Amino acid sequence: MEVIAAYGTIMITLAVIFGLYMTWGIGANDLANAMGTSVGAGAVTVKQAIGIAIVFEFAGAVLAGGNVTKTIRKGIIDPTNIIATPEILVYGMLAALLAAAVWLMIASSKGWPVSTTHSIVGALIGFAVVGIGPDAVNWGKVGKIVASWVISPAIGGTIAFLLVLSTRKLIFDTENPLRNAKKYAPYYIFLVGFIISLVTLFKGLAHLHIELTGPQSFGLAICIGLLTSSIGMFFIRKVKEDTEADRDFHFASVEKVFTPMMLFTACSMAFAHGSNDVANGIGPLAAVISIVTSGGEVMQSSEMPVWILFVGGTGIVVGLVTLGYRVMLTVGTKITELTPSRGFCAELAAASTVVLASRTGLPVSTTHILVGAVLGVGLARGIGALDLRVILNIIVSWIVTLPAGAIMAMVFFFFLKGVFG
Amino acid sequence: MVAMSTNPLAGLLRKSPFKPIQEHMRTVFSCVMLLPALFDALYRKEQGEVTELAGQIGVLETEADGIKATYRHNMPKTLLLPVDRKDLLSLIHEQDSVADGVEKISQLLVNRDMTVPDAIKGGLDELLEGTMEIITQAKNMVEELDELVHVGFSGREHDKVSRMIDGVRKSEHNLDKILKKVNRTLFTIEKELDPVSVMFWYRIIEEIGNISDHAENMADRLLLFLSK
Repeated sequence: MEVIAAYGTIMITLAVIFGLYMTWGIGANDLANAMGTSVGAGAVTVKQAIGIAIVFEFAGAVLAGGNVTKTIRKGIIDPTNIIATPEILVYGMLAALLAAAVWLMIASSKGWPVSTTHSIVGALIGFAVVGIGPDAVNWGKVGKIVASWVISPAIGGTIAFLLVLSTRKLIFDTENPLRNAKKYAPYYIFLVGFIISLVTLFKGLAHLHIELTGPQSFGLAICIGLLTSSIGMFFIRKVKEDTEADRDFHFASVEKVFTPMMLFTACSMAFAHGSNDVANGIGPLAAVISIVTSGGEVMQSSEMPVWILFVGGTGIVVGLVTLGYRVMLTVGTKITELTPSRGFCAELAAASTVVLASRTGLPVSTTHILVGAVLGVGLARGIGALDLRVILNIIVSWIVTLPAGAIMAMVFFFFLKGVFG
Repeated sequence: MVAMSTNPLAGLLRKSPFKPIQEHMRTVFSCVMLLPALFDALYRKEQGEVTELAGQIGVLETEADGIKATYRHNMPKTLLLPVDRKDLLSLIHEQDSVADGVEKISQLLVNRDMTVPDAIKGGLDELLEGTMEIITQAKNMVEELDELVHVGFSGREHDKVSRMIDGVRKSEHNLDKILKKVNRTLFTIEKELDPVSVMFWYRIIEEIGNISDHAENMADRLLLFLSK
């Protein structure tokens, strides 16, 4: 307890710095990847993508980000054994943050598609094993998270697959695809607003002290859906048939209808990312602050102060503005095979899955769900070619990231423990 | 500062394998389209023009070969394609054989100063016209590949391409009839001609016939894409 009393301010400062570093990395790479799809499909410019990300990332973190934070903070490791020495948990959280951030940096510069979620989970496990003891790790929960890496991309893939089939049935495989595209577009946009808001509202916005009943949530979700769909209709009305482009590709005009539609999935993608991945950076940060401000209470169930979410949001936005735009530019030019309609299906599926997963509290990986969703489009025979070696790389990065994060967290933990004494 | 870019999607999505096939087919098509001009020059006994056209055909054939080679190099076994990889490779192989055939014909006409017997001129024209028709149909068929991917090789687009495949097959059948007729005509006059020339004329006619055979094979490959 004395350590915390003596170094409390330094600890909080370090936690904020490490938290910013971690969220900066998330924004520079992870979020940029998630938004790159929309940029690649030509739906939004890089500037617009940054604007959308700033607004919706924050919204996602504040409105739907609470549950994941709890899982990161309490679900994976059990601090019962170190109640007497709360500073151990502080070192551990700081070490985990730093380890995850450093690993993210290394992997990104090497071009490995690692997940921020995996990094932080690995780091937390690493610290817990050496700092508290292997028993402190909730291996059942870890198993669940590992299972979710398979299940969540599979869900994203299935939804994307079904969405592709629906666009085919309703739009592409009809007498007049353009007319049908315009006709059904508002319904799809409704779906974007409805699903994302319903999943967000359904368990209530408890940490914002807003309690909604089931029917109230439903009603509000329908309203938000209708609102988004009417905004969408405004954009879609302006889409004109382009016979010149149709000469090269029969569905060129139809794809033009999907371009403004992707604007909405871009927003939902940023929202979903905010709801899920921001927690990776701010979960440990929140834990440190909760321990220090309570004077060493490890087990108390504190409220998540909203300002912490803002710290996370700020880090992400700074990351996006400083480096993320470049990632989006390169990503955008590389994934031109993702036409607006394919991108729409993939993004809607991914965003829905991520928000759904965040509501259940599982820290899933946005990027990998997006990969799952794109695979789903591919399996519907809707994409020319997918490189399966990349899937293998992703799986390897999943496996490698856990021990890498863990080992680095161990090193940083002993270092911090030595410094603070 | 290290530029960070590790988008798994960028690597996951490979360039569509159908675009190069279409590009290849367009080159092959331009190559075949020089055949009528080549024979016209032959009729007019303009050997210089024949050589020049043969040169153009050679350039296009080399270009098509290049596209094919690049295509094969960029077709690793780890790709998840909406159609069988082998069928895609056979399709481009058949397309390539068309260009090879055209080049062979042009080379025969360059290597020997051939005189066209009046009796087969009509049949030869019909044969060339039929070949142009079938190659145009085959090209149009290949141009539908993008749309086929977009709708997952099913529905209306599936039916449309099925009809195009039927069209190619019918044309090939008609061409076979013309082929028989020309061969028969050649047989009836072969005693009046120089024996070596007769032999070469049979070869040229056979080579022209081969072009439509390859077009039909292309149609068969596409049919495999459509079958589930």
